[in-house]
Amino acid sequence: MVKLWKMQTGKKAIAAVSAAAVVATLSLTAGAQSASAAPVKGGTLYVITHQDQLDHADPQRIYTGRDIAFMESYVFRTLVMYKPVAGTAGTGLVPDLATDIGKASDGGKTWKFTLKAGTKYSDGSAIVCEDVKYAISRTFATDVITGGPSYAMQYLDIPTDAKGNSAYAGPYTKVGQADFDKAVSCSADNRTITFKLGVAKPDFNYAMSYPISSPVPAAKDTGDKMDLAPLSEGPYKVASYKIKGEMDLVRNPNWSAKTDSVRTNYPDKVILKFGVSEDVRDQIFLKDTQKNAINFDALQLQNNISFFNSPASKTRGLNVNDPYTVYSAMNVSKGHLDCLEVRKAIYFAWPYDALIKLNGGAKLYGTPGDNAIKPNIGIDYAKTTSHINDKNFKSAGNPAYSKTLLAAAKSKCPTTYAKATSADQGITIDTSDTAAAKKSAAIVTPAMEAAGIVIKYNYIPTGSYYSTIQDNTKQGDMSGAGWGPDWANASTVIPPLFIKDGGFDLSQNWDDPAYPAFKALSDKANATLDRKAQAKLWQQAAEYAMAQYWLGPVSFTKQQLSWGSGVGGVDFWAPQGTFLFPALYVKK
Amino acid sequence: MSVTEIEPGVKVRTPAQIAWTRLKKNKVAMVSGFIALFFILAAFLAPFITNLLNLTPTAQYSSGIADTGIPIGSFGGLSLRHPLGLEPGVGRDLMSLLLYGSRISFTVAIITSVASIGLGMIVGIAGGYFGGRVDAVIGRFSDLVLSFPSTFMIIALSLPLTQRVEAAHIARDNGARVVVLVVFFVIFGWPAFARLVRSQTLSIRERDFIMAAKAQGASGRRIIFKEILPNLWPTAIVFLSLSLPGFLAAEAVFSFLGVGVQAPSSTWGLVLSDAVSYWQQDPAYLLIPSGMLIIVVLSLNLFGDGLRDALDPKSDRA
Amino acid sequence: MLKFVSRRLLSSLIILIVISATVFIIFNYLPFDPARLACGKHCTPEIVSGNRHRLGLDVSWWMQWWEYLKGIFVGRTYGQGAAMFTCPAPAFGYSFNQHACVSTILASALPVTVSLAIGAFIMWMFLGVGLGVISARFRNTWIDRASNIFVLVGTSLPTFISGLLILLFIVLKFNLISPLDLGQWHSPLTAPWEWFTSFFWPWLSLALIYAATYTRFTRSNVIETSSEDFIRTARAKGVSERKVLWKHTLRPALAPILTIAGLDFAGLLGGAIITEQIFQLPGLGRLTLQAALQDYDLPIIVSTTILAATFVVVANLIVDLAYAFLDPRIRVK
Repeated sequence: MVKLWKMQTGKKAIAAVSAAAVVATLSLTAGAQSASAAPVKGGTLYVITHQDQLDHADPQRIYTGRDIAFMESYVFRTLVMYKPVAGTAGTGLVPDLATDIGKASDGGKTWKFTLKAGTKYSDGSAIVCEDVKYAISRTFATDVITGGPSYAMQYLDIPTDAKGNSAYAGPYTKVGQADFDKAVSCSADNRTITFKLGVAKPDFNYAMSYPISSPVPAAKDTGDKMDLAPLSEGPYKVASYKIKGEMDLVRNPNWSAKTDSVRTNYPDKVILKFGVSEDVRDQIFLKDTQKNAINFDALQLQNNISFFNSPASKTRGLNVNDPYTVYSAMNVSKGHLDCLEVRKAIYFAWPYDALIKLNGGAKLYGTPGDNAIKPNIGIDYAKTTSHINDKNFKSAGNPAYSKTLLAAAKSKCPTTYAKATSADQGITIDTSDTAAAKKSAAIVTPAMEAAGIVIKYNYIPTGSYYSTIQDNTKQGDMSGAGWGPDWANASTVIPPLFIKDGGFDLSQNWDDPAYPAFKALSDKANATLDRKAQAKLWQQAAEYAMAQYWLGPVSFTKQQLSWGSGVGGVDFWAPQGTFLFPALYVKK
Repeated sequence: MSVTEIEPGVKVRTPAQIAWTRLKKNKVAMVSGFIALFFILAAFLAPFITNLLNLTPTAQYSSGIADTGIPIGSFGGLSLRHPLGLEPGVGRDLMSLLLYGSRISFTVAIITSVASIGLGMIVGIAGGYFGGRVDAVIGRFSDLVLSFPSTFMIIALSLPLTQRVEAAHIARDNGARVVVLVVFFVIFGWPAFARLVRSQTLSIRERDFIMAAKAQGASGRRIIFKEILPNLWPTAIVFLSLSLPGFLAAEAVFSFLGVGVQAPSSTWGLVLSDAVSYWQQDPAYLLIPSGMLIIVVLSLNLFGDGLRDALDPKSDRA
Repeated sequence: MLKFVSRRLLSSLIILIVISATVFIIFNYLPFDPARLACGKHCTPEIVSGNRHRLGLDVSWWMQWWEYLKGIFVGRTYGQGAAMFTCPAPAFGYSFNQHACVSTILASALPVTVSLAIGAFIMWMFLGVGLGVISARFRNTWIDRASNIFVLVGTSLPTFISGLLILLFIVLKFNLISPLDLGQWHSPLTAPWEWFTSFFWPWLSLALIYAATYTRFTRSNVIETSSEDFIRTARAKGVSERKVLWKHTLRPALAPILTIAGLDFAGLLGGAIITEQIFQLPGLGRLTLQAALQDYDLPIIVSTTILAATFVVVANLIVDLAYAFLDPRIRVK
């Protein structure tokens, strides 16, 4: 259930950032530096971003993939972690604060993690099981700890009321504390934590790789203020953090490599520099003016093209498949798209070619996709029969076919047809208010017009984009979004995207006549413990959802990283969708 | 007004004719007037002109765009077919974009100018003619309006108000955005003109011909419409010609900042804000629209100055 | 005199109160719900109403307005328990987005805007008034004509175009400011040279526009004044041209310019949105723009709007009072 809070600035019309765990197949078009050079200690590593702040820095509230990777590499430690290596091997879990990657029993309904001895916070005090338990309990305090993942609430065996709210209200009010204490408990020696789940969850330990499992002692909890001054148990501690300024990380003397097989502390300091103007940021990497810097963002479109076309700069860049599927959700509930033929008519008139060209071409942007699940998720992906695999699909748009679909709609669902084609109503597309989105509008509008469909654009301020479209009453007919799986199981894609209350169901498809059959299929897949059988069911569920065109145009997108020539050890950390931070060092 | 009988042989001219003669002598004003007129006409004849040149404003001439999104050829793909080049990325014809865009810009500027002058005229005459409490209330109110940080207010309120306008079914999309922009411009635009009119009304009210009319028992309505109003026209015309470029530029600024008209429509401000991201690869895309906007504003300003000199030589800037 | 001053003070205060109330009324009727925006992903109606209570939004606009005004003098406390936070006086609200009291945010933006306004002001006064005086003194010479062209172009050039052209084709093209330095705040007290270089180009692009207007205005004022009787008398008495200009002409000619300058300066103190946006200066204008167009951070928008209005009202007051001191006739009006 990955969350995409802020839009990526500049690069893509509708791409978003999120955490993800994917078996990524890398396509290295530009050379990553060979790992043969030995990393050296010392220097200052600059991490440059246009954003004014991290979305969150409180371990229980952080949910943006890039931010998680950064903070987990330098500041936080968690029960388990992704293996700090490039390629598919990087998607496997390794023990971090725990001695192993968790022991499941009771058919996946009980999970146990035992803490390593000798792990400490930056102030020298020891990490104990109660701290991890307390950290998990914080995620229930939804009035204070906002924005973070809700895995604990979804999976733990704690009763909920009719509205689905947990009986436990977090450690601040302590309402329902007994229920929580029953579900999460520490052993007598305060070293082993036990989670009791409501349902079998064979991949529960993946959720513990998120910083929600990063310990917080109750005595040191500062509530909302943790977001500006988080505790540290990793190789670096936060010396200062100023919004629109920088976050300065200095070495944590109480961290020891002996208990930590994931992290390194090569640079003396790591400085995350906020609020750098996009033009300035791009110049830094285009001209290599700040050699010991990496780009936390993507370059702006034109600069990205220049960067990856110039022999001088492209050796300092990496072009890979990102973990995301970028799509337009078709909102079935509003009465403008509650007709399959109309949804299909929009899809087949979509001007993919022009949009991809606008966004930097297939090499940098990506290609049209056929599935909500990206092929690099592994066994859960199978080619669908709809979308790009339909024989009528043309990547330049096929308005003639759309017209025949509309003609069918006119007799089959005349009301919807009338709404979609009338100048008064039309189809409203939600999009984040960016320059790129506006240029896309100039391409999409006439293309739809050619098929006879009226399109309107609703530009939503970037900062409130997702909170607006997730408000069922405010969402338009089509909403651009991006989604990457939380880890390599379609259980983190299909239910969130297509099941009511799944977390990100922008299709609002629960009243569609096709929904009940789909829901049954998805529930069955979710409860299937045999991984191969489960994958088959996910493939069927995806095929079903896609054939309903609950998602309109889908793209399998790419992502580019850029850095200065003074940084060594650069590689892509597939599950996190960003730099492999633990390998980075500043060259002498 | 046939005064000819009194002094036969002397050709007597109306004030408007006198002003016209003066204006005709001012070459700079005449030339810039023609340039401004040319741009305004071109804007309002946009569909006709693009048709004539066989251009479609929404068409993507993607063959003229390289894979990098940059127009092929020098100066932003300048050619006979596309006299101002192509828009990078999408590949629309830049001239059609600017023509259609300036139509929106000019419409906003003209409606705003006329409306704020109309409102300012009514309020200013009321204040100046009735004086006393009416004048005081009007004065305080315009002080209040002028104390508001207008730019902030427009930026902060345009998005929610546009939604309100749409919800009220007054206008949709860019129509709604234009309505909001015009309303805001007028709200913050009228006090300046009202003050000018008020002070002029005050002085006209004391002039002999008003006294004479009053002595003859003319109604207040007659005095305002027949005696005061005609004397305010020159001021209004000068103010109109000078506020037009101001509102034109203001519209461009706001759409540059992301408030006001939105894509896929296009105005100067939108084109320029888009052009910033291409400034290195396609500087012509930034420089051509900037240059045009400067020329239009400059010629409107120059013409306005000339008009003022012609209508009111005393105000000579010497 | 005292009566005039107190009356003027009172009316300014009333205007400020009306403005702040108007701002609260307007924003109260917006379709945006800050409580919803501060809610995050798992947003239930309970959380929204809890947020609304914490933000003090669950009361009528006049209560919110009263709390706001009170907070300026006595500070404010929001929420309770772990979620509690306090903003000491002067409190202008709390921004959930930035996890900070608005007063803190304003305090970091204000020096930037003040630096921009002061520098630009000095530059345009020197440039505009100087050029105006020179072209009046050497009327109808090539200097006058050149300055006339400057005036025409300057008054016709929208700020965002001149700012853009300066930034892109001068500053960035020739690497005049180290790119990492652009938009970075340097205190004039600790790093005066960095402060100067980082502000020089924004000053210039603002000053060019204002200077053009001031050149035109100064020139016509000086010419008008020099045709007044007392100047002719002075000349007839054999006072040197230099002295006529400096002692007799400039003082009366420049007085009205100072009035306008005061108001223009106050307007800039509220935030030069366009210049700050183009040069990425983290001042009040950019703060407002981001708050309005990206996050819809209401506490910030309300405060910057009221602050900008305050600058204008105070400047008006000062100008009026200064005038009253200089010209006794106004007081009795």
